This record gives sequence, C-alpha cells and structure tokens, in this order.
Amino acid sequence: MQGEILFLCVTVFTAGFAIAVGVIFPALGQGKACAQALESIARQPEATGPISRTLFVGLAMLESLAIYVLVISLILLFANPLLRYVFR
Amino acid sequence: MEEIFNPRVLFYLFSVPVTRTTVSTWVVMAFLVLLSFLLTRRMSFVPGRLQNVLELFVEAVINLIEGMSPGNGRKFLPLVGALALFIGTANLAHLVPGLKAPTSDFNTAFGLALVVFFAVPFYGIATRGLKNYFKEYISPSPILLPFHIISEITRTFSLALRLFGNILGEEIIIGILFLLAPLVVPVPMMLFSIFSGVIQAYIFTILTVVYLSSAVEVSKH
Repeated sequence: MQGEILFLCVTVFTAGFAIAVGVIFPALGQGKACAQALESIARQPEATGPISRTLFVGLAMLESLAIYVLVISLILLFANPLLRYVFR
Repeated sequence: MEEIFNPRVLFYLFSVPVTRTTVSTWVVMAFLVLLSFLLTRRMSFVPGRLQNVLELFVEAVINLIEGMSPGNGRKFLPLVGALALFIGTANLAHLVPGLKAPTSDFNTAFGLALVVFFAVPFYGIATRGLKNYFKEYISPSPILLPFHIISEITRTFSLALRLFGNILGEEIIIGILFLLAPLVVPVPMMLFSIFSGVIQAYIFTILTVVYLSSAVEVSKH
C-alpha cells in the first residue's frame, strides 16, 4: 500500500508543480508582449488594428504553451495512464 | 468531475456510442441551421434588422481575411466563416443548461483542426498548382523537408489543444465553483467564459486565415 500512496502523492505534487512553473514563463512572455504592444499603440494610435491583430495571434501562440501544461496536469490528475499498473 | 476526458455516453446509435458532446453538437448545428434559415427566408435588397446582423457578420469576416491576405476574402469566406460561426456558438453552448460545450471534447477540437490541416494544401494547390505548392516544402534546401512536415503536424495539434484546453479549463473552473457555492458565485466566471469563448473562436479563425494565406501567397525567394 505504501508504494501506491507514494505514487498518488507524487502525481498530485507533480501536477501542481507543473502548473505553477508552466504558467510563470508564458505569463512573463505575455506581459512583455502586451507591454510592447501598448507602447507602440501609444506611439502610433492609427496602427491599433494591425497591432492588436498581431498581438492576438502572438498571445494565442504563447498561451498554448500554458495550455499544454494544463492538459498534461489534467491527464495526470484525472486520466493517469499509469494508474492501472499501480492498482491492478 | 469524472466525465472530464470521457463525456458520458447517453445512448447507442447502431452500436456507435453517442456522447453528451455529440448531442450538444447536434443542438448547435440545429440552432445555426434554423437561425440562418429563418433569417434568410425573405431576403431583400434593403436589409431588415435581422438580415443586417448576418450581413454585418459576413462583412466582418471578409474584412478580417482581407486584412491578413488581401484579395482572398471571398475565396476563404465559406470555410473561415463556417469555422467562426460554429466554434463561436459551440464555445457558448455550455451556458445552456444540460449542454456541454462540444469543443471541450478533444475529438471535436481535433476534428476542426483536421479540417484546417486538409484545407491548407487544398487551397494552396488550387491557387498555385501542384508543383509550385510542393516546391515550397523543399524551398531553401531539401534538408528542411522533415521540418516542414513536422511543423504542419504540430501546428494542427497546437490548434486543437489550444481550443480544447481553454474551453475545458473554463468548464472545470465553473464546475468547481458550482460544487463549492452554487448560488451566485459561478456567475462572474460564466460571464468571463462568454468573453474567452468568443476570443478563442476569434483566435482559431485568425490562425486559420494565417495558415491559409501562407499556403496561397507566392513566395518571394
């Protein structure tokens, strides 16, 4: 039984840790992208349309990194494929 | 919570399992078909109030495409407009009691991404010809051929995973809030999910346009 409990603890810890680390860096990147876009919109308000469109595409690309982490930790928590080897 | 990855099977149709998300897809389809049938039944040259809404949408999509790839607005309109309408409606479907957003099922999201995956070479070959399109794959040198193929595949997966993860994440957050405090607390999150659902539909649409226009445009080098 010890091994199974250890496995569950490690799984939950890994899922939480993965979300924590995996969200920090996309958030930093998105903040940087938003700051730059705001700066350039403030400098050139007439270019708002193209800038915000490109910003959305870039933010989507950055966001998908965080989404990969979310999907992996959801798989770890709710659909762990290794569970059936531990609990036979 | 147990139906996060595997939506509940409601019934079997000729021994094919029909899940909740499939039924929600049918409801969304019926809603869109009925809406567009009713709104375009008596089309007039001078649009009425309801016809105006549809024309506004069509013009918005055309302007979006023209902004990214000039001259292709009419050509991409059927695919891009259909994707935008369906994903936009499907992302909001979980606000209706009893329905589950079809895009929170990975099969739906991956199916939509597969449509884009096959539409890109279709439009590319149709505009530039078979030889010119596949010349792009070995464009600087043939060494880059595997990387081109890998990027085609990974961007399909990222397109699907982004939509799926966002909508599923929203649904899980609303579900957890509903378990904790069912009365008023989930409402702000549901309002936010309207916003993020529309944004996700917009992003899927705009990325589709980017991929299509990169396949259609004639390369400079």
